[in-house]
Amino acid sequence: MTTSISSLRDEYGPLVAAMSDALAAGDQALFHAHLDALVHRREADLFKELRKLTTDLQAALERFRIDSRLVDLAEKEVPNAKHRLDHVLRLTDEAAHRTMDLVEECRPLADRAAKQAGEIMDGWRRFRAREIKVEEFQRLVLQMDQFLAATRGDMEKVRGNLAEVVLAQGYQDLSGQIIRGVMKLVDELEHTLVGLVRLSKTDGEMNRESDDARRGFGPAVPGVDHGAAVSGQQDVDSLLAGLGV
Amino acid sequence: MSKDMKFLIVDDFSTMRRIIKNLLNDLGYANVTEADDGTTALPMLKSGNFDFLITDWNMPGMPGLELLKAVRADPKLAKLPVLMLTAEAKREQIIEAAQAGVNGYVIKPFTAVTLKEKIDKILEQRANAA
Repeated sequence: MTTSISSLRDEYGPLVAAMSDALAAGDQALFHAHLDALVHRREADLFKELRKLTTDLQAALERFRIDSRLVDLAEKEVPNAKHRLDHVLRLTDEAAHRTMDLVEECRPLADRAAKQAGEIMDGWRRFRAREIKVEEFQRLVLQMDQFLAATRGDMEKVRGNLAEVVLAQGYQDLSGQIIRGVMKLVDELEHTLVGLVRLSKTDGEMNRESDDARRGFGPAVPGVDHGAAVSGQQDVDSLLAGLGV
Repeated sequence: MSKDMKFLIVDDFSTMRRIIKNLLNDLGYANVTEADDGTTALPMLKSGNFDFLITDWNMPGMPGLELLKAVRADPKLAKLPVLMLTAEAKREQIIEAAQAGVNGYVIKPFTAVTLKEKIDKILEQRANAA
């Protein structure tokens, strides 16, 4: 009870004294009037308390709803999101390696075609200029036969690999869907936390600056990173030139 | 310095290491070794007679900036050319790397031409200083 005896005296003293006077004077009507006033005042206090209690109860229920959702998010969905993001990492890793494998397979085939064509061109030029000997021409024809057969096979392989490179980009669709799901979760988590903060009415420092700058911030994400970032390699070069590097 | 220079690439992503290795091979540098963070790279550097270090910044274990500082603090490695190849693009980070003694800084995503230019520039400066 916060009401001290002195404030009770101030609040009810005159009323009780008036009642006592009316009783002493034998004025029944006046006594009842004062008694009614006293009861009415008590009722008003009671309703005020009751209203406050109802509001508190509502807040408690809301908080319970948010708390249990938060527990659910923390226990199930956040670890689940971590697994999903791990999977994205795996998908992108596999796609990048698959693409590079295919490109690396194509490289020697392209090299071989270019090299053999170069060799044939030399003989062909002399043939066109009618400077070629019969034996050399026979060799050139053989060389051409081999080149055409090999290049046809090689280019079929290159074409197949290119088709597979395109196919390997399918990871973007899958990983995009997973990331979108995680973004939805982060959004819900944010809303739930904001609701909790609002109920707790704690206005503590929310935007604490991470002191772990030594590890790095990762790639700049448009619309997310704030602070002075360079816009490209040219910007880096001029900054470093200014520093004498 | 010639084409048989020994490179160490430090990056936690195997795909990125592979991309850099491929680009270096294209530039004619065939002697390329890989490490996935500073903690694994440092002992390799100390025992491996490397001629050039290309490192990422943001890595688990020892990040690139700490690797750079460790390299500069080691009398045997202090003069090793170090190129930072990273997505870290904050001005203060680039300044910090410069102060720690980096020789070049390339931000991701990068092109083959940029990588070649920076490596050539660093080697040129080395040759002029020698």
